[in-house]
Amino acid sequence: MNIFLHELRAYRKSTIIWTISLMVLVLFFMALFPSFTKDAEQVNELLKTLPEALRKAVGIEIGSFTSILGFYSYVFMYITLCGAIQAMMIGASILSKEVREKTVDFLLTKPVSRSTVIVSKLSAAFVSIAITSLFFVLWAYFIALYVRTDDFNEQAFFLLSFTLFFVQVMFLAIGVIASMLLPKLKSVLSISLGVVFAFFFIGMFGSTVGEASVRYITPFKYFDSMYIIKNSQYEWSYLIVGLMWVITALVASFFIYTKRDMDAV
Amino acid sequence: MVNVFLRELKALRKSLVIWCIGILAMVAGGMSKYGATESAGQSINELMVSMPKALQAIMGTGSLDLTTVSGYYGILFLYLIVMTTIHAVMLGANIVSKEERDKTAEFLLVKPISRKQVIFSKWMASLVAIIVINLVTFLISHIMVDYYNKTDDSYLIDIAELMGGMFILQLLFLCLGTSIAASMKHPKRAASISTAVLLITFFLSMVIDLNENLEILSVFTPFKYFEAKDIIGGTGYEALYIMLSIILVVVLTIYTFIAYEKRDLHI
Repeated sequence: MNIFLHELRAYRKSTIIWTISLMVLVLFFMALFPSFTKDAEQVNELLKTLPEALRKAVGIEIGSFTSILGFYSYVFMYITLCGAIQAMMIGASILSKEVREKTVDFLLTKPVSRSTVIVSKLSAAFVSIAITSLFFVLWAYFIALYVRTDDFNEQAFFLLSFTLFFVQVMFLAIGVIASMLLPKLKSVLSISLGVVFAFFFIGMFGSTVGEASVRYITPFKYFDSMYIIKNSQYEWSYLIVGLMWVITALVASFFIYTKRDMDAV
Repeated sequence: MVNVFLRELKALRKSLVIWCIGILAMVAGGMSKYGATESAGQSINELMVSMPKALQAIMGTGSLDLTTVSGYYGILFLYLIVMTTIHAVMLGANIVSKEERDKTAEFLLVKPISRKQVIFSKWMASLVAIIVINLVTFLISHIMVDYYNKTDDSYLIDIAELMGGMFILQLLFLCLGTSIAASMKHPKRAASISTAVLLITFFLSMVIDLNENLEILSVFTPFKYFEAKDIIGGTGYEALYIMLSIILVVVLTIYTFIAYEKRDLHI
């Protein structure tokens, strides 16, 4: 419990900064919606005649695009990018920082088992990103209510917004397993940015080729915003595969951490 | 001094190779999609031109001609800029702050060289690194664009001009990284803060694309200084932005030297 609280406190400042940044980001983009939507009619006509390949390349489909949900899903792409960086950085640092900052022998000589340590730390990481997601979703909802020109499907809006949390959990797991597999990790930021941007670009370009193959590779494509907007539900196969990835990565990290030979001072 | 320089180059070798592979994957992956859009023909282009500006921005095209290989490459160029500037800003922040992070600052600074020389050597090593990245990007881009180019025109000049703009941005962000790392009290945060500055300016440039009334803010985001659509479109570099970049680079570099000279090392 102490470890859990200590980690929460340690990440408090960064969680607050990330949450506020995401809020400001979505505010800035959504503030442009009213001026954007004026061209809506014209845009819709034009979009219908676009070739399929081009439409897919930008992840936008006809119809839903000029609505607030369509615009929001475009903005949301960049929100998840930022959220993923945050989650990956927490995941990659929370276990590895003890070794890097030479506090690992202090921690592990306390009368707690390693499994307690890892469970407390991971819970703290989960709580941090859950707080970020929760505040973001509520804030985004208020903004959407404020700038909307029409009624929109609120269920779809919330489903779409909460994918931020799922993507973050996936990147948290990737971060944790990465820090376990690379014991000599020095710069958390470099690896986090590298991995997150790599997946992001794969997703951007991948969506123009055969979808199914690429979609399982990058967490950014596990939740198709157009599908969510249209059907107001998630695609269960992706949700299950994603969950399996997360569980596998966390269980593997658990075993590696409990067995690892730690570099003491 | 030369030793520090060589030592840094050696330390950078591995990450340079990884970055170059990343750029290769990016350009090759991006250009391979050219076929898909090319086949759609001239019709896209007419559509694009008639679209509102905000929508063009969301499409990432601006006024680029998507049917030509250079226009298509122009879209890719934006992502290349993001990648290489992230590399530059993190390189700048890390190369200065890592001595304190790895607790080797004392070891380095008790050597019979001044702090100015330390920074100078590290700065030169970073310069070599970003030049390598730039040349590799140039080479890969030229080969890939040439491969998909079915016309007789050569785009070598266009790409060279784009790379020139990219180099200035890399240099700018490198200096930003070093100056932040040299002046921060807690060097551990230097890389995060420099990256945050980069992402903020990047998002600012996207917001400007979405709304023409914000054009005036362009001065604040380097991502607006050299845009593919202007350079390929033929208008070339803008003198104002070139001047601004040079002033920023010079000021930030001088500031790096002064700040590092005076700073209390965090050991």
